[in-house]
Amino acid sequence: MRGRRFSTGISLGFLLAGTIAAGVLASGLPAQAQDIGIGLVVPLSPPGDPVGGQLIRRGAELGVETVNAAGGVLGGRKFKLYVEDSQGKPEAGVAAYRRLVSENKVAVVPGFFHSSVAIAANEVANEMGVPTMALQASAAEITSKHYEVAFRTHVVDPVRVSAFMEFIKQKGFKRVSMIAETTDYGIGIADETIAQAKKAGGVEIQKVPFDRTVTDLTPQLLQIKAFKPDLVINIGVGQPLDLIIDQATTIGLLPTTPMLISYDAPVRPQYWKLHPKNGAGLYFIAYFSPKAPLSDIGTAFSKAYVEKYKEDPVYGALNGFGAIAIIAQAINAAKSTDSKALIKTLETGTFKSWPSNPVTFPRASGVYWHNWSAPVLILHYTKPMEDWKEAEVAVQYAPVVPKD
Amino acid sequence: MEPALETIGLFKRFGGLLATNDVSLSVERGEIRGLIGPNGAGKTTLVNLVTGVHAPDAGEVKLGGQSLRGRGMHEIARLGLVRSFQVTRLFGNMTVRENLMTSFLARRDKGESDGAGQTEGMIALTKLGPLADTQAKKLSGGQRALLQMACGFVVPANCYVLDEPFAGINPVIKDAIIDMILDVNRRHRATFLVVSHEMAIIRRLCQQVTVMMEGRVAAQGTLDEVARLPEVIAGYLGKALE
Amino acid sequence: MFSTELVVQTVISGVMIGVLYALMALGITFIYSIMRMINWAMGEFYMIGSYLQYALVALLLGPDLWWLAIPISAAGVFAFGLVVQWSLLKPIFRKPPEARDDYATVVTLALLLLLRSLATGLAGPNQFSPGSNLPVVMVGPMPLAGARVAAFVFALAALALFYCLLRYSWYGLALRATSQSRIGVQTAGIDVQGVDRIAFGVGVALAGLAGALLAPVFLVYPTNGLITTVKGFEIVVIGGLGSIPGALIAGVLLGLIESLGAAFIDSAYQNIYGFALVLLILVLRPTGLFGERGREA
Ligand SMILES: Nc1ncnc2c1ncn2[C@@H]1O[C@H](COP(=O)(O)OP(=O)(O)OP(=O)(O)O)[C@@H](O)[C@H]1O
Ligand SMILES: [Mg+2]
Repeated sequence: MRGRRFSTGISLGFLLAGTIAAGVLASGLPAQAQDIGIGLVVPLSPPGDPVGGQLIRRGAELGVETVNAAGGVLGGRKFKLYVEDSQGKPEAGVAAYRRLVSENKVAVVPGFFHSSVAIAANEVANEMGVPTMALQASAAEITSKHYEVAFRTHVVDPVRVSAFMEFIKQKGFKRVSMIAETTDYGIGIADETIAQAKKAGGVEIQKVPFDRTVTDLTPQLLQIKAFKPDLVINIGVGQPLDLIIDQATTIGLLPTTPMLISYDAPVRPQYWKLHPKNGAGLYFIAYFSPKAPLSDIGTAFSKAYVEKYKEDPVYGALNGFGAIAIIAQAINAAKSTDSKALIKTLETGTFKSWPSNPVTFPRASGVYWHNWSAPVLILHYTKPMEDWKEAEVAVQYAPVVPKD
Repeated sequence: MEPALETIGLFKRFGGLLATNDVSLSVERGEIRGLIGPNGAGKTTLVNLVTGVHAPDAGEVKLGGQSLRGRGMHEIARLGLVRSFQVTRLFGNMTVRENLMTSFLARRDKGESDGAGQTEGMIALTKLGPLADTQAKKLSGGQRALLQMACGFVVPANCYVLDEPFAGINPVIKDAIIDMILDVNRRHRATFLVVSHEMAIIRRLCQQVTVMMEGRVAAQGTLDEVARLPEVIAGYLGKALE
Repeated sequence: MFSTELVVQTVISGVMIGVLYALMALGITFIYSIMRMINWAMGEFYMIGSYLQYALVALLLGPDLWWLAIPISAAGVFAFGLVVQWSLLKPIFRKPPEARDDYATVVTLALLLLLRSLATGLAGPNQFSPGSNLPVVMVGPMPLAGARVAAFVFALAALALFYCLLRYSWYGLALRATSQSRIGVQTAGIDVQGVDRIAFGVGVALAGLAGALLAPVFLVYPTNGLITTVKGFEIVVIGGLGSIPGALIAGVLLGLIESLGAAFIDSAYQNIYGFALVLLILVLRPTGLFGERGREA
């Protein structure tokens, strides 16, 4: 205990010294003319999700270090990262964007964990002109409004559903039940699945909606059992998701019928605490697995990250890093930090990020506008208490962006 | 010897109205005292002050020489003071038998008998037998009044404060209640304070009466004495009693 | 879609859950009938019961001793109820009765917020499960979680015990008398404050018991009492405030209607069916199926 307090004291001292130095720098000497400012708007305090924000920030900071260590961009100009806390609140996010653009003169503003913050900031960005890049916000509106300034590197729901369909095709499933909460998320995904299944043909779909405040989902699950599906897709978020797993086990739906979970909840440590016995055998959507191949810069980043934080990077950190890497490549290709030139280059160029699939931001239709995402994975727990990093990669689906 | 029940300078104000105004009276052990007076004179208020429903603004009540200041209704009840209400208070959804049995609740804590025998005795005495398993709310007004008295008498107490026990009751039940009062008074030397507007019954029961008017004690003496006073005739009786 | 097996399964599932909802309703109704106040924080006592059960099973006794943890959890909630009555409610009940309801509403609502934030602060927003080693039980064609069957049996036993104590014990007589007339019972020498304390403790212990029983079935998290409380209030309206048989019958009725509605009408509106029944009852029989119209003053 003593030791830890002592070292905390030291690091606090450093921190203070650092802050003072930064203050002197900011007030006394103007930032070096050739430095290129990059903004980062992430939630670092409640009611935002500070953990989510912090992971993105770590990745972005390492990304800036990497770029600068390699000699910067445009023949020697260094990146300087300005981090702002959105607190998960649209108004704070908007204020942060304004400050970054008008005071810090940043070239691009990546970040954005909460969709509402991204949507609000894009309205201002649409006037001020400096592009944004949403790294972990999934609402359709962020890109479907087709703003020149709005970019995104995160999975949108149609891609998630395309991954479901890929999985269904691979396994040859013919009857699929969905138990979906009656929220924008749940119904959005369920309806998209029905639409895509209809287009693909050959799959019979049952949709069983439920109110997310309901705790006894036995009636819904009994209906599903009576339908005799080949696959159950669990489209609940948080506690209903866990209740579905337990109650499906009770009525004998699990483990006989495979279940697919619509997002990456099972990577959290809580999952095995809640389902020590019946958690095995389930499939779930994930955005990253150390078992999936990374690009060369992704591999290098991953090594640096482990060295620095003594843990494997997760999706948020990778995407934070990826944004900086993409921006650096775009600025070099545009030979400029001018917003218009940068947007043009992002739209037309091909870039490299942490996964193996190439990055593009075409002016595509619907939500695919300015949208690239890493391959969506479907992971499979093959034994109880399995580490998510060891989970089998059942599907790796790289989205095919529909051209206009 | 200490009086069984004594009030000393009781004041109680409701808003602008002084419902009891310096009421002092004292009742000897074994006495049956009548309390009469016009409507709104403050009789029920006095009863409420004595039994702890209200706390007096000033003054105090003593039971057997012991001050009741600061004691709650249930504590006063446990000191052996039983009251009946002008508007009957029974446990409507409970049976006649169960109503009688509630009178033993306080006793049980002291390890005394559970009252099953006394309860049946009282049911027989009051001839409520056929109604023993009927809910109290289904009784007639007179039966209710009788049951309320029976609840008070089934456990012998040392002091009874009865607020209009005879109002709206047929003569047979009236006589039953009068008999119960006289019986308990004789056998246990129990003390009574009886509020009533029925002068004939007051005359049968009470040696002494206290007259209240406009919150004050207006007169005290035998019924015949007070009934002769002009202010009592003017303020309450209307005409002299024959 | 419409198979007999599904109907039977749905009915069984509805009855099972209905009895557990009834436990919650009984707590609400009981506290109301004695104290003439609604305890809006009822769900938080459910929540405390579930956390206690989790703590006992996961950290102390292990899943095999779950049955021992249940009465301990309920007793813990009972004790906490006594403290709440003594510290927060008793002062209100010394005031004249006019404003009592309003004070009680404010105090219990504040308590609701306090306890929820406390739970989030102490254990975080995540859900926990005490786990259960009980095997799945077949009831007719219906496989049921052992924990759920155990909860059902415990709940029935608790309801029966509660009813017998109220009906045949001396303390039950005092409780029933208090529910009829608070003044009357005081003239019989009963300390209503003491009765209040026990009644509040027992009432919240019923909620705590439901929380402990359902902890392995419906999980443990800061707001887990919410839905059960809503059901509890619905049952109270359907069955009639103050009626114990009403709570049991209305509980089963609500469980059935919700299960059947979800299975055969539209599963998205499971919460709505019970509510529709509430509205119907309010129109046809405002005092509920077994409610009493008035009471002795
Ligand atoms: N709780 C109360 N609040 C306000 N005023 C009250 C209250 N109780 C009694 N009073 C008033 O005090 C006065 C005395 O009332 P009380 O009931 O003592 O009269 P009473 O002598 O019993 O009359 P009656 O013969 O009609 O029963 C009345 O004017 C009454 O309105
Ligand atoms: Mg009166």
